[in-house]
Amino acid sequence: MALWCGALWPMGGKMAAPMQRALCGAAVPWRWALGPRWLAAAAAPRWRLVGALCLQRPPSITQALSPEQEEMAQLVHQIEVEKSNFSDHEIRRLAEEEQLRKMKDNIQDEEADSGQAIVLAQDLEDAWEQKFQQFKAGPRITDADKRNDRTSLNRKLDRNLMLLVKEKVGNQELWLLPQAEWQAGETLRSTAERALATLSGNCIQAKFLGNAPCGLYKYKFPRALRTEGSVGAKIFFFKALLQSGDLPQAERKEDYVWVSRGELGDYLKPDYLTQVNRFLMDQ
Amino acid sequence: MRAALGKVLCLGKEMFLKQAFALSRVTAARESPTCAVGSTLLSCNRHYRSQPTHGIGRFRHLLPLELSKRKRDRIRMKEISAGSDHAYGDLNIQMTAYDMCLVEHFAQYVHKLCNRFSIRVIESYAMPTKTTEVMVMQEQGSRLYPDAVLTTHQRVVQISGLSSTFAPVLLEVIQSNQPEGVHLSVKEHTEADFKVRLKARPELEELMAQMS
Repeated sequence: MALWCGALWPMGGKMAAPMQRALCGAAVPWRWALGPRWLAAAAAPRWRLVGALCLQRPPSITQALSPEQEEMAQLVHQIEVEKSNFSDHEIRRLAEEEQLRKMKDNIQDEEADSGQAIVLAQDLEDAWEQKFQQFKAGPRITDADKRNDRTSLNRKLDRNLMLLVKEKVGNQELWLLPQAEWQAGETLRSTAERALATLSGNCIQAKFLGNAPCGLYKYKFPRALRTEGSVGAKIFFFKALLQSGDLPQAERKEDYVWVSRGELGDYLKPDYLTQVNRFLMDQ
Repeated sequence: MRAALGKVLCLGKEMFLKQAFALSRVTAARESPTCAVGSTLLSCNRHYRSQPTHGIGRFRHLLPLELSKRKRDRIRMKEISAGSDHAYGDLNIQMTAYDMCLVEHFAQYVHKLCNRFSIRVIESYAMPTKTTEVMVMQEQGSRLYPDAVLTTHQRVVQISGLSSTFAPVLLEVIQSNQPEGVHLSVKEHTEADFKVRLKARPELEELMAQMS
């Protein structure tokens, strides 16, 4: 729960100082001598808090089985079929086949019966087979896969896709997860929701799984940019699942991508990537 | 031949019994036999309750007390915990599908997962199966004829004490391992959810309506 500490402590170091003094008030005198220096050191590092959003599009089809899994599945299926009892439909079909065979042997009796419009089990099966032939499943590898169009959501239907945006941080253009700076009076989760709203307008419906952040990345600014108030920034990541909608296609074509976990390495910086990889759960 | 042998054996045993009676009557005056060497038929007047070894195999007193359950007391709703700011109360993870094996395997997986994560699983039960008949319009006519019969199976795993920091992780694991064809929903447990499991008693309701 060290992740929470940054959010729970208020932004200003001024609030921190009296609390810390109260904490070490009961300390031994030799410690108290160190007190002022410690307090001065504690008041200085102030971190900018940032809420970032890890928006994931969940997969819509299951991944293909590996060859061993496929073999095992077939073997288990065969064992199950051989061990199982006949269903009603199969019993009916066997009985009808038996009847037909008997009728072929004694053609004289009961010829009228077969002429009636009884739907045989075999006919039903043929009808079902025809219906099945007419059914066409959707393609597993879509057009977007073939073109490797990373801005489309139709790609890689068996994996999680994450949203990355290109933003200007300092004087560099960096690829990172969409983020927004924390403002006083709001929770970090609402910061992440605000980041989503500013990015997409109202087009995207996302479901946040909880109020707790899933990851943390902290970095210090380069010496030139460090001020009295901010030494660096702490980015808290929040996970959300995409329910419906997409980014408006017209604007910012080059500025965003939907990537799977394997492709993150092409875009993110190494330190950032290690922290992000810690909370990603798919392969 | 076996029957004949059996008869011979029985006869033999009877004779044996008579001899044993005679023996025991003779010996009872002197001492009570404590050991039964050979056949148990030797000592038919066993004073087993007075022997020091009486109760040697007793175990019922070691088991936990089981209160006798009357039929009316058995169905009582457990307390539904409300949950605090940092932990959820009773949650129902409901899994519904047309394929029974799939939904049962998934329910087993969720149960084992919760055990692994040390989340307390209160109950894991099944709701009654619902049968749906799919009627299709005939192409030539306007009559509906039955096309298929679908059975919907529902399994529920009830957990309690899920912390708010761990809930997103658990939900994501369950969602990413959800098989195709299984519909998953996580809800808070209410009294209505409990009542749905009980059978309706129309006579009792009628009588209650008559009384009031």
